Amino acid sequence: MMTEAPGAGRERIAAPLRADCVADSAGGLTFDIGGTDDPGPAHLLLRRRDGDEIALPLTPAEGGRLRAALPSSVDLPEGRWDAYAQFAEGTPRHLTPGCNDLRSLVDRAPGETAPRIAVRIPYPTRQGTLAVRSWLRAPHAEAGELRIGEGELRVRGRMYGTGLAEDAYAEVRERGGPRSVLRADVSGSAADFGFTVPYAPLAPGIWDLWLRPAGEQGPRVRLARLLDDVADKKPVFRYPRAAVRAEHGAVEAWPYYTVDNDLSVTVSATDRPA
Amino acid sequence: MHISFLIHNAYGIGGTNRTTYNLATALADQHDVEIVSVFRHRDAPVFAPDPRIRLRSLVDLRADGPDRGHGELARPARIFPRAEGRYQQYSLLTDRRIGEHLASTEADVVVATRPGLNVHLARQIRRGPLRVGQEHLTLESHSKALRLVLRGAYPDLDAFTTTTEADAGAYRARMRLPGVRVEALPNPVPAPALAPADGSARWVVAAGRLAPVKRYDLLVTAFDRVRTERPDWRLRIYGGGEQGDELRTLVDRLGLYNHVYLMGPAHPIEPEWVKGSIAAVTSRTESFGMTIVEAMRCGLPVVSTDCPHGPREIIRDGVDGRLVEPGSADSVARGLLELIDDGALRRRMAAAALRNAARFDPSRIAERYESLFLSTAPRGIRRRATLHRARVTLLGGAQAALDAGRGALRKGRPA
Repeated sequence: MMTEAPGAGRERIAAPLRADCVADSAGGLTFDIGGTDDPGPAHLLLRRRDGDEIALPLTPAEGGRLRAALPSSVDLPEGRWDAYAQFAEGTPRHLTPGCNDLRSLVDRAPGETAPRIAVRIPYPTRQGTLAVRSWLRAPHAEAGELRIGEGELRVRGRMYGTGLAEDAYAEVRERGGPRSVLRADVSGSAADFGFTVPYAPLAPGIWDLWLRPAGEQGPRVRLARLLDDVADKKPVFRYPRAAVRAEHGAVEAWPYYTVDNDLSVTVSATDRPA
Repeated sequence: MHISFLIHNAYGIGGTNRTTYNLATALADQHDVEIVSVFRHRDAPVFAPDPRIRLRSLVDLRADGPDRGHGELARPARIFPRAEGRYQQYSLLTDRRIGEHLASTEADVVVATRPGLNVHLARQIRRGPLRVGQEHLTLESHSKALRLVLRGAYPDLDAFTTTTEADAGAYRARMRLPGVRVEALPNPVPAPALAPADGSARWVVAAGRLAPVKRYDLLVTAFDRVRTERPDWRLRIYGGGEQGDELRTLVDRLGLYNHVYLMGPAHPIEPEWVKGSIAAVTSRTESFGMTIVEAMRCGLPVVSTDCPHGPREIIRDGVDGRLVEPGSADSVARGLLELIDDGALRRRMAAAALRNAARFDPSRIAERYESLFLSTAPRGIRRRATLHRARVTLLGGAQAALDAGRGALRKGRPA
């Protein structure tokens, strides 16, 4: 909902500038800012929460607007980047999201051989300002359809940046604690893969899903859903809970996307006896 | 003309605000326009008004506002009708402030934007200005008690607008309004700031409050049938509301969690429409059907239930969209599949939707308001309107001359 920024004094602070973003299907972004009236040299500043910063030149575009481009070829490390406009040496001004045209991201299908997957999704922060969420993965295991079966989760996905070897498998790794690791066989052809996670062996807790596309010797790739326009998957991509008589007692289990849009499974003990 | 809108709270969100700002902005091209908000609860309005529009409030309830804690706020309103939905927010103070405003306004036309304010307008306006009441919902939606009050007050209006012909018909048939010009003037919807949808996305999009009247349960059930035949198509529903959990449960029960997504509220909504190729409306009733027009302006054909009142006045069935049987999931599914399966038909309808929805452009709706004002107004206002138009033209000319002069000066200056 729209609320005013806390502590925003009347007329004292320069009004935030509105930016319109357009995404291209390769992962590039264009930012358009209006209402600046010839401010002299200007930059679009992306500042990560840890202080890392990237400055992109803002150049005059049609209609007296200023434009900055963040092409897919420019690295933007993973994280949340707050967007500002900076004029000359002045204090950076927050940007507010205007009209974000992200239609080319909706069903993004990069080539399977793309050496790395770069994803940038502009989004409004809780304070109503503009930020960009970035992911950079090589290789990348994209989670697709999830199916909740009888006491199990069936995952389908697609591999980018590396092939699937004969001995490819999936890992279900317990987060924290004694860190058990379960293995699941991976089936698939070319880049498309599938595997099944049985809930019964999982102890209450959180289990992260990984892919080992080249078997034990190769990389460990976190499963994530990145190739669309939704910056925060958790509230949108939701899945039913399954009640399971597990080895550790009666539990409920369900898949979910983490704050980073990685795929995990929550297992929660229920009161009912197993 | 000097046109003054009277509105409940111009600083918040809501359909009436959006509509009023759109209309006021279009009217400001030719006229002197102000928006008078009964209440003010925040510094800046959510919808930033066009700089040509003057915005002021009558009762300032901001944390440090002068009327916070005013004694008359606690005393019940007498003019604002008790049967009106907003009655609890009105008071002796609003009665008095609105009354003072209406008794002293210098406007040629005053437009009130909800039943309670229409009653104020009818009862408290000074002699002279044109009195225009607006209905943003429908006569049918009001209680018997409120209808009785309106029946007593509305004969003192000069003109009265509804958003549909159906509702205008209801007012003409059921309220005796001799001498009041009753006219249907649809809500204005501006052209979106981005390119229309290209019809290639395999997404159906719906947007609105997750409320029972919207019947999204029907849409989800219909989509179960769509999924069986066309698993490559999916559905997004934008909006928040009380029915979210219920719909979530239905999606899970039908195993539609890879096909139907509850997206949450989105503002602005236009960038979300253009991600789809078909829009769906499954409401039980729509007093107008703003989302239908919005989707059409974004280049989407709309499959909508043929419910009262708006949809059939917006959609030309089979030409720029499809009207289906209200309450029937089968009918909704058939309508969606017809457009999903026939890409050529879908694109033809999309093009027609884009063309036909241009009649809701604020400039076109403003013209219709203008002619309503001029044909209803007494001669004095009509003459002033002509003079004002002449002055606008004259000023425009003077500005052009000035600009030309400046250009000449600049040219004369050494580089």
